[in-house]
Amino acid sequence: MTATTPPLVSIRDLRTWFHTEGGVARAVDGVSFDIGAGETVGIVGESGCGKSVTALSILRLIQPPGRIEPGSRIEFEGRDIVTLGDEEIRDIRGNRISMIFQEPMSALNPVFTVGDQVAEVARVHADMSRKEAWNRAVEMLALTGIPDAETRARQYPHQLSGGMRQRVLIAMALMMKPALVIADEPTTALDVTIQAQILELLVELQKRIGTSILMITHDLGVIAETTSRVIVMYAGEVVEQADVDELFAKPHHPYTEGLMHSMPHIGHDQERLNVIPGTVPAPTDWPAGCRFRERCPYSWDLCEREHPPLYQVGVAHVSRCHLAIEPERRNHPHPPLVVEEGVAAA
Amino acid sequence: MSGQTRDFAPISSPRPRESPLALGVRRILRARSSRAALVVLGIIVLAGALAPLIAPYDPAAQPDIVALKDLPPSLAHPFGTDPYSRDVLSRVIYGARLSLLIGVLATLVSLTLGVAYGAIAGYAGGLVDALMMRVLDAFLSIPRLLLLIGVLVAWPRLSIAALVLFLGFTGWFGLSRIVRGQVLALKHAEFITAARALGASRRRILWRHLLPNLVSPIVVAATLGVAHVVVLEAGLSYLGIGVPQPQASWGNIIQDGADQVAALWWMSLFPGLFIVFTVMTLNILGEALRDAYERRS
Repeated sequence: MTATTPPLVSIRDLRTWFHTEGGVARAVDGVSFDIGAGETVGIVGESGCGKSVTALSILRLIQPPGRIEPGSRIEFEGRDIVTLGDEEIRDIRGNRISMIFQEPMSALNPVFTVGDQVAEVARVHADMSRKEAWNRAVEMLALTGIPDAETRARQYPHQLSGGMRQRVLIAMALMMKPALVIADEPTTALDVTIQAQILELLVELQKRIGTSILMITHDLGVIAETTSRVIVMYAGEVVEQADVDELFAKPHHPYTEGLMHSMPHIGHDQERLNVIPGTVPAPTDWPAGCRFRERCPYSWDLCEREHPPLYQVGVAHVSRCHLAIEPERRNHPHPPLVVEEGVAAA
Repeated sequence: MSGQTRDFAPISSPRPRESPLALGVRRILRARSSRAALVVLGIIVLAGALAPLIAPYDPAAQPDIVALKDLPPSLAHPFGTDPYSRDVLSRVIYGARLSLLIGVLATLVSLTLGVAYGAIAGYAGGLVDALMMRVLDAFLSIPRLLLLIGVLVAWPRLSIAALVLFLGFTGWFGLSRIVRGQVLALKHAEFITAARALGASRRRILWRHLLPNLVSPIVVAATLGVAHVVVLEAGLSYLGIGVPQPQASWGNIIQDGADQVAALWWMSLFPGLFIVFTVMTLNILGEALRDAYERRS
């Protein structure tokens, strides 16, 4: 990351809280990061870590009881998205920032043809006639590799395969050549063989259009294939951030380490996958101190007393772990405090 | 770009476009009972539409109030004549025209009100929804027939237009509940979030994205609603507070022979049969449409 040009998106202390009857769920709790122009940034983490809420917050798509708390800032092209008026944010959505959803079937309206739905983006944002918008839509569908786009455009979502539906969503997202595309688990719902094609397509179109991508996923494979910089989220916070090569070579945070160890490796004789024991704590009461402490094999009393800050642990590499100041403790792992049934401490 | 087509789904169906309405029609044509219902209803509708061409007499003409009154069915008057010597067949045909027209128009009024009210309540949610639903509860607690009788008795010279409006204004409560429920269920659907994510306004989302998904339940409710209004109008006209004389509606034809039902049996039998057939066929079609849509989802 060179800091000469200002970043496209600059998120500072983003807190998106859900004020439910069961308490305040602090789904995103003080997240800060930048996305540079043309850059692909990945956010990785398990379900419930706040990555999707972060994505939705950038487009201000959070519905009550959720709320972006005052003091949060999302700067985009010189404006703070958090305080924009309804009209202004609508003008950004789908136009300057667009989103690709996880489940292409449910993200498409079942009663309209896919061509209509792609064309609608242009109808909303560009002063285009029905015919012009339709032609643009067909062009866009062809660009995403849909064969016989003219015919396909006249079909309904249920008449298309999952991979094709995802191509339709990509066409919608890229219709206005946005500055930023947020891809929320874009390949999770697809067959493995199709996943690679869709990722390839995204990367290729990104190069062509020059857009930035925020890739939200739980899949480190997707991160490795597409992104240049990675943000690891855990319990509503950024716990580690680094360039992708650095992160894979030298993961610092025990959670990142755990994520990597839980990936299956071909050629390794493994009885069972390494899993991170326990689950993400409830967002209504994050534990004091380090939020990963109870699942961590290195935690000690400091982790309970003090909520770790983001330590600088390398060039453009930060980690929210006290190991940064006591690195020798990494040599003495212990069973984590939460112990899963069947894996009882010996 | 056509070289990189790797995920093939067969271009599956011979019908590239299928709207909910087309689906409904196709399903109706598939089942024998609903096909028969469609034919019967079609004949009644056609008779009403072409009334001036096929009615053998002027429905209001009283050619000879002494010699030609109360005639039982014959070749000259297949449905007999009434106490004013009017031809009952002609009156039933014209009655079809008026009763169906009132049914359809009143239902359109109800549909407009019910959809608008329900959609706004469901989409707005929160306090607005709660308030609108309490008001609706109040409306629903008023018996429709009693309200209509009360209003219509008090109304001096009732026009058909006013009757349509009254029937329409009192008929939308149930539908607006259905619409509100559907909007509530759909508004958090991912494709609605997706529509918001591409910058659609609230109005556009409600009318362009949500309502088209409600076409099926609305069509079903409308079909059953027409049947309901036909019965209601017949009842009111029978009570003498619906369609005013000398206009013929099925209800007031029966009323004309009501004081001698046994002697003038043809005066209640024929219009009665038309009411029964109309209502039955509409209900069969409504149920068939409901089946069609439920099976799909």
